[in-house]
Amino acid sequence: MEIIRTSDLKKNYTLGKVDVQALNGVDSSIEQGEFIAIMGPSGCGKSTFLNLIGMLDTPTSGDIYIDGRDVTKMNGSARAEYRLKHIGFIFQFFNLFNELTAIENVMFPMMLNKQPDHKERAKELLNIVGLGDRLHHLPSELSGGQQQRVTIARSLANSPKILLADEPTGNLDTRSSVEIIELFRKLNLEQGQTIVMVTHSPEIGGKADRIIHFRDGKVMEG
Amino acid sequence: MSVDLRSALFYSKRDIFKNKKIFIFITLSIIFATANIIAVNALMDGMIYDFVDNTVESSIGHLNIYPDDNERFIDGLGLKEQRLDGLNEVEAYSSRLSASGVLSYKELSAPIVILALDPEKETKVTELLQKLDRGAVINSNDKNTILVSYRLAEDLKLDVGDEADLAFENGDVKIYSVKGIVRTGDKDFDSSTVIMPMNEANRQLAIDNSASVILVRLSDKELAGTYKPVLMRELEVNNVRTWEEETGFLLSFADAWKGFTAVISSVGLIAAAISVGIVIYINVLHKKRQIGIMKAIGAKDSFIFAVFIIEAALFGVIGVSIGNVVGYLVTRYMEAHPFYDAIMQTWISARFGYYLFYNATIVSFTVTILAGVYPAIKASRVDIIKAIWGR
Repeated sequence: MEIIRTSDLKKNYTLGKVDVQALNGVDSSIEQGEFIAIMGPSGCGKSTFLNLIGMLDTPTSGDIYIDGRDVTKMNGSARAEYRLKHIGFIFQFFNLFNELTAIENVMFPMMLNKQPDHKERAKELLNIVGLGDRLHHLPSELSGGQQQRVTIARSLANSPKILLADEPTGNLDTRSSVEIIELFRKLNLEQGQTIVMVTHSPEIGGKADRIIHFRDGKVMEG
Repeated sequence: MSVDLRSALFYSKRDIFKNKKIFIFITLSIIFATANIIAVNALMDGMIYDFVDNTVESSIGHLNIYPDDNERFIDGLGLKEQRLDGLNEVEAYSSRLSASGVLSYKELSAPIVILALDPEKETKVTELLQKLDRGAVINSNDKNTILVSYRLAEDLKLDVGDEADLAFENGDVKIYSVKGIVRTGDKDFDSSTVIMPMNEANRQLAIDNSASVILVRLSDKELAGTYKPVLMRELEVNNVRTWEEETGFLLSFADAWKGFTAVISSVGLIAAAISVGIVIYINVLHKKRQIGIMKAIGAKDSFIFAVFIIEAALFGVIGVSIGNVVGYLVTRYMEAHPFYDAIMQTWISARFGYYLFYNATIVSFTVTILAGVYPAIKASRVDIIKAIWGR
């Protein structure tokens, strides 16, 4: 079942006085339960594509269908609500809330979603990512790999349909990177979690079910 | 638009307590601004009411009977005093006579106001004769002694024991010995008044059974308004003024002072508001990435706005609450330790009223919240992409 489809997706930026065509007509389709890696050289439009399908940004033109729904027509508030309920994000720089403990970071999206059992669910998720003994640690008291695992737990908080990860291992050592990818694989296999991951690393990308190659704002065949 | 205030409060609480130094700095600003509003206004109230009380106690009665329009004196004084003796609520009264004259000492002389009174009766109504700077008080039967007001004595280089020539308005001149110097703090009074016994004034001015004013002291000064018509009816007089009417000018003066006080208080308050606004704004700038992440995981603009407004409100609640306590304690201290006003020769203390709490709370809290509005709007408008990728 197709969960993400884009058609003739374009995105133009203006950087100073220069117009940049970040995406130049991207057609793509991702099935539910797939683990996808998006690869390509710097500036090819990978992150822009991820931002668009994650509804963080709006396209210049083209359509994005998520779970059969054209999300480009939604206003800001509706997009925020959709992200909260259906999309999980993992960023390269961990991006945890520094003033919240690990469990509070994971609880937070569930509190926004008014999920009543948020504390128990947060504990469960931190156990899944192997941080059951670090519940009350602040981000500053955790290693980079541990912080990224908290971010993964947080991204799963509201049981999203899609998990989007932008260079999730870009800031981690090899061992932590392997652990994170193994965690993704486990989530994908055991929970059928759809994962779309941007990466530079062929080794990391090779762990995915399928790789979508980008170049010059377009999807390359093969 | 529904905002999950519980989650916003959860995050705001964590955020404001994260940096304890900043928290203490902001809270102290609000505490001092709030305490300042209470203490300054309490002191101003104390000064105003003490000033009014002092004026009432030293120079006017609770009710003051004046001659009818176009008349110089109240005639039939004996009968009126008799009737006053028969009124239940009248505790005491003092008839005064005013006349003009010239006081001379050596080569100096000055126009004066002669205030004639019965010292025994006056003492029961006002504290005028207790405002003695030096010397002694005159008696009812004194024939050759007077009291001279402080500034007048200075101008004529007079002191206790000196003998001065007093020329009455009828042209008679008599030598009097200065028995005491009176200092009330009232500029007009202190610069030109000579006090002498009523009997002596009657003799010299050939006036009898008349007064320029009768000061009446009631059992309770708050009865003045309701007792005024009774007095007018019983004494058959038309021109009676209550102490409130007499001090009306002081109360309007007090209003002007209160405006000035409000300006002083608002300076502290604005400084506190700017501190709160700046710190929250800097917090927003430092937190751009976190705000971007918050939005990315699904927080709406209204939620972000609420987070930072709640932060301002939390600062307000904590700062204003402690500020009220500090302001209360400072006010109570100033009540217990009055300042001595050497010019007025009176003690000035603060006067606490619960309305000070309401005023300080409403004003400080509102200003603190307003200080958080701009940073909160800026936070809610943070662009997700720019925030996350630091563009």
